[in-house]
Amino acid sequence: MNFAEIVFVLIMFITLTGALMAVLSGSIIYAMIGLVTTMFGIAGLYIYLNAPFLAMMQILIYVGAISILITFAIMLVGPLYKRPKEWTTLTKFFVSLIVSLFSFFVLLKIIMRAFLSGGRIDAFAISTKDIGRAFFDKLTLPFELISLLIVVSIIGAIMLTLFSKGEK
Amino acid sequence: MIEVFFYNNLYTYLFVSLFLLCCGILGVLYRRTLIGMLVSIELIMNGAGLNLVAFNRFSSQDNPYGMIFTLFIMGIAAAEAAITLGIIILIFRKYKHIEGGEIKEMKD
Repeated sequence: MNFAEIVFVLIMFITLTGALMAVLSGSIIYAMIGLVTTMFGIAGLYIYLNAPFLAMMQILIYVGAISILITFAIMLVGPLYKRPKEWTTLTKFFVSLIVSLFSFFVLLKIIMRAFLSGGRIDAFAISTKDIGRAFFDKLTLPFELISLLIVVSIIGAIMLTLFSKGEK
Repeated sequence: MIEVFFYNNLYTYLFVSLFLLCCGILGVLYRRTLIGMLVSIELIMNGAGLNLVAFNRFSSQDNPYGMIFTLFIMGIAAAEAAITLGIIILIFRKYKHIEGGEIKEMKD
């Protein structure tokens, strides 16, 4: 077990712990911190997958933009201390745990079957240059459409919250 | 025997993304507030992106389409988060709470 493997296990542990914290914590702001931890862990996994550009974009978009957006929404929807806990009834928790564990074991069985039957899979290295080439050669139209989608959704969100008649 | 490292194995990444998916399903089903559900949906999207990048690294010859789809997923997640938070703020203005189970009438 060399040094890279130890760091990898540490990153994986951070990712899984952040996911559990995002789901199971009682307060919504702790769930937010767990989500940010998971994002950082997944950025580390992207670096191990030989995709440093994706890791950078993960930190920029998720940690920089989306989590700040969600935090602002948490602050806008009323004071924290007046809010009830995130726990619903215990029955609902166990029912959703059963559903989640069922899907987990079904998919884990498929993965284990592929793992036992298949041999070793070779890894291919893809550089950032290839990503840029593919973006601007073949996938120019979807790229522009994604930017259009983001602009439309942001304008739509602003129009929704500005011009709607609510009880103020 | 060729030594296979732990991080150079497809199934490790598949397990991590499966774990994220199941955490997301659990959160969507039992969270009380709408923002908690949104956080869980972000977890599911991250699991899908990790899955795509892992398959691109280990079983695609030399085209980067998995990574490009992960970038598209990030863009769509940003758009989805913006529009969802607008809707959540509207619901808070109208009902004074953001609990998903308590919103019963969506007509007027």
